[in-house]
Amino acid sequence: MKNSKRAFVLTEVALGIMVVIMTFIMIQGRNAKDTDKVSVIIPNSDDNEWSAFRYGLRMAAQDQNIEIIVAGTGELGIEEEEETIEREIDNGARAVIVQPSSGKGTEKMLKQIEKKIPVMLVGEKETEDGTALEIPFTEPDNYGIGEALAQELLKDYNGKIKGKKIGIVSETGDFGTAADRRAGLENALAGMGTEILWSVSDLHGKEKGEILKSQLAADIIIAFDDSSLILAGECAQANDLHGALVYGIGNSTEAAYYLDVGAVQCLAVPDEFSVGYQSLTQIAKKLRQRAYEMESQKVPYKVIRREALFSEENQKILFTMSQ
Amino acid sequence: MIMLVFSAISFFIMLFLGVCMYAGFSATSRQEITQSTQKLMEQTGENLEDYLVRMRQISDAVYYNVIKENDFLGQDKEIQQGMNLLYGANRDNLRSIAIYNDYGSLMAAEPVASQKEDPDVTRQGWYKRAVSEMENMHFSTPHIQNLFDDNTLRYYWVISLSRVVEFTEGGDPRTGVLLVDMDYSNISRMMNQINASDNGQYFYLCDSNGQIIYHTRQMQIENGIFRENSRRAAGYKDGVYDEISEGEHRKVIVNTISYTGWKLVGVIPYSVFNHGMFNIRYFIIILMLLMAMMLVVINQIVSDRISSPILKLNDSVKEYEAGKHPQIYIGGSMEIRHLGDSIQRSYERIDLLMRRIVMEQNERRKSELAALQSQINPHFLYNALDSITWMIEGERNDEAVFMISQLAKLFRISLSKGRTVICIGDEIQHAQSYMNIQKIRYKKSFTFEFDVDTSIYSCCIVKLVLQPILENAINYGISGTEDNGEIRVTGRKEGGNIVLSVIDNGIGMPQEEVDLLLTDSKHIHKKGSGVGLVNVNNRIKILFGKEYGLTVESEPDEGTAVSICIPEVPFTQENRKVIEKGHLFSEQK
Repeated sequence: MKNSKRAFVLTEVALGIMVVIMTFIMIQGRNAKDTDKVSVIIPNSDDNEWSAFRYGLRMAAQDQNIEIIVAGTGELGIEEEEETIEREIDNGARAVIVQPSSGKGTEKMLKQIEKKIPVMLVGEKETEDGTALEIPFTEPDNYGIGEALAQELLKDYNGKIKGKKIGIVSETGDFGTAADRRAGLENALAGMGTEILWSVSDLHGKEKGEILKSQLAADIIIAFDDSSLILAGECAQANDLHGALVYGIGNSTEAAYYLDVGAVQCLAVPDEFSVGYQSLTQIAKKLRQRAYEMESQKVPYKVIRREALFSEENQKILFTMSQ
Repeated sequence: MIMLVFSAISFFIMLFLGVCMYAGFSATSRQEITQSTQKLMEQTGENLEDYLVRMRQISDAVYYNVIKENDFLGQDKEIQQGMNLLYGANRDNLRSIAIYNDYGSLMAAEPVASQKEDPDVTRQGWYKRAVSEMENMHFSTPHIQNLFDDNTLRYYWVISLSRVVEFTEGGDPRTGVLLVDMDYSNISRMMNQINASDNGQYFYLCDSNGQIIYHTRQMQIENGIFRENSRRAAGYKDGVYDEISEGEHRKVIVNTISYTGWKLVGVIPYSVFNHGMFNIRYFIIILMLLMAMMLVVINQIVSDRISSPILKLNDSVKEYEAGKHPQIYIGGSMEIRHLGDSIQRSYERIDLLMRRIVMEQNERRKSELAALQSQINPHFLYNALDSITWMIEGERNDEAVFMISQLAKLFRISLSKGRTVICIGDEIQHAQSYMNIQKIRYKKSFTFEFDVDTSIYSCCIVKLVLQPILENAINYGISGTEDNGEIRVTGRKEGGNIVLSVIDNGIGMPQEEVDLLLTDSKHIHKKGSGVGLVNVNNRIKILFGKEYGLTVESEPDEGTAVSICIPEVPFTQENRKVIEKGHLFSEQK
């Protein structure tokens, strides 16, 4: 009789525990619908040059079931960037994708952030003083892009490029991304007899068009980033470049437009869609598995000539830029 | 056990019901999701068709109301105005309206914008398709409009509706192509609205060749990250299909858009059905667990109701078997009450029978006692009368008188009004009378002495126990000795008992004979019968209990001592009756 009572009580207790567990799992299942939030901190976040990147982020967020917040920003110094990141963390961000600012102390700041939440770099992987940030990054093959531009130059001049004077425009100066691109270009042109006539990088300010105008006449102008290329395209369309041909790297519809109208000879387009898609995919993996080690990745690029701008394949690139 | 069986059966029934419920809910849920998706797709298909019909109507209006009614050479302003009106009325849906001649030259366009340098429309898909099938209107897949430069530095995604038109230029009929570029964002917006769900279900749009027009993962498909069976879907007729894509089971619903041959495709991965069933699954499990808890309680109550009376009955039977006399439990269901009642009656009958058996046993003991006593009387009487006979024959009358008087005392005590238990004093008197008779009979060949504590005279004893021992002492103890035999009778209290001993200095006997003396009434002693001692021993044990009785100690050529051990019970009428009924013996037993 006692055994029977004990079996009864044990059965009831076991069933009761199972009810509690099932209820807990059900409630957990409902709560699990809350998706992880990832913040993206990039300078001038509303600029068209980020369209493809933002589209890539959106698509990855859809595939990985993650909520992304692209923080509204203007120009970002290290302090503003740190403030923005901290604010996003306070607002519930479980990871951040950051284009690091070029100021000193960036590495220390990002290392501090990385101790709290996963960080993925895009756009830059070095500080202004050339220190490599030991944080996973996703970026285009910058050296390859520079090299590809040089190959296009050589193709256009049938290799007879000796004595040609080249002007270089870069927004971020001679470090990180721009330095890699320049290295690729210079290595490909090494021994060809070209001359880097000038190189400008500080393009901030209202009269930045004047900066290019005031440079010595060059045969070729190479723009190493989207805003530099747009600036060079504007100047070329206005015939302010002393007849120089513009080659450059860009990822906005404006850059494509200047190629379309003939102001730019050749456009190398980094696959910013993939930068956005792959960086967020890596972050998503990290959030799902704490032990996962995020990997640095290089994404491809595409060289577009005017005559092929509206080819079926290139229309897809324009599609990502138009989102 | 009953509860376990009930619980197991209940569990399997509930499991079966739960699985059936889940399967039922699951099938209904799938059906509902599929039906609601179909309805949503029908609604969206209608919206798309309405939109495309409007575009066709614009194209018709431009063609029949503007182009056909005017000559391009002299009425270009009227044409521009007509196109402007139509464009203005449909500005939200249109990107541009343009008419090209058969050489690909722009004849008119709205909104007015500068044409790009040498767009060469004759090489563009919409133009080629219009020219190749002149009788139809053609909808292109989404593409960038590469015709006009509006200085916004932007590119627009359009779907082109193109058709061959006939127009008049300077009175000459000519052919050209009318292009209506629809803003892709309208279609995109419609599709985005139905793709708002994040549960894995999605909708896409493809043309009759499977070329994607809209897809939520358009770039993933282009980059090879994701694959879509759009070509297969383009071959489906309207309906619901099951297919496997990338190892994933999914339901595909196809709806054809009129006029275009486009296919609106809804994809429901099976995980969506499972996702929808998540809460129901756990709800059913929790419901089943709660039902199981309730059933276990019910089973416990039911099995208690069944087993409790049986267990109570069993307990009362066990108590009965343990020697207690509880009332047998009669309760529970009719059958168990009947069982209890039967057991109760059985036990009552057993009790009755037991009492009867005990009574019969007592009666038997009494008759055995009576039989034993009757064995003594003739034996002794024969001996005594034999002695008196010899005395009279030898003219020893005084001795004969003395002997007869002693015999009279002896018989008086022997009779004792038929009582079995007498006081020790009487028993001693009886023994003395007997010894006096025997001493005369044996010609004073032995002496005897009584050394009995008078304080024990008033205690109970079974009558005529000393006499057989004395008889044996005389006959078998000292009769064979050459010297004068001595017999001593002692009596005293020892440890709460009374010990009466008959000690002789006769020939004695070995220990093995001593061992047999009291155990076998049929044993024949080599120098006589031991029947008298066995009888005495049995009588004492019957009335006083098994721990009492005779003990015999003997050494060959030294003598024999036979002791009677009885409890010290004061002689009262009440005690006498108790001992005679054998109650003392029964209680001790």
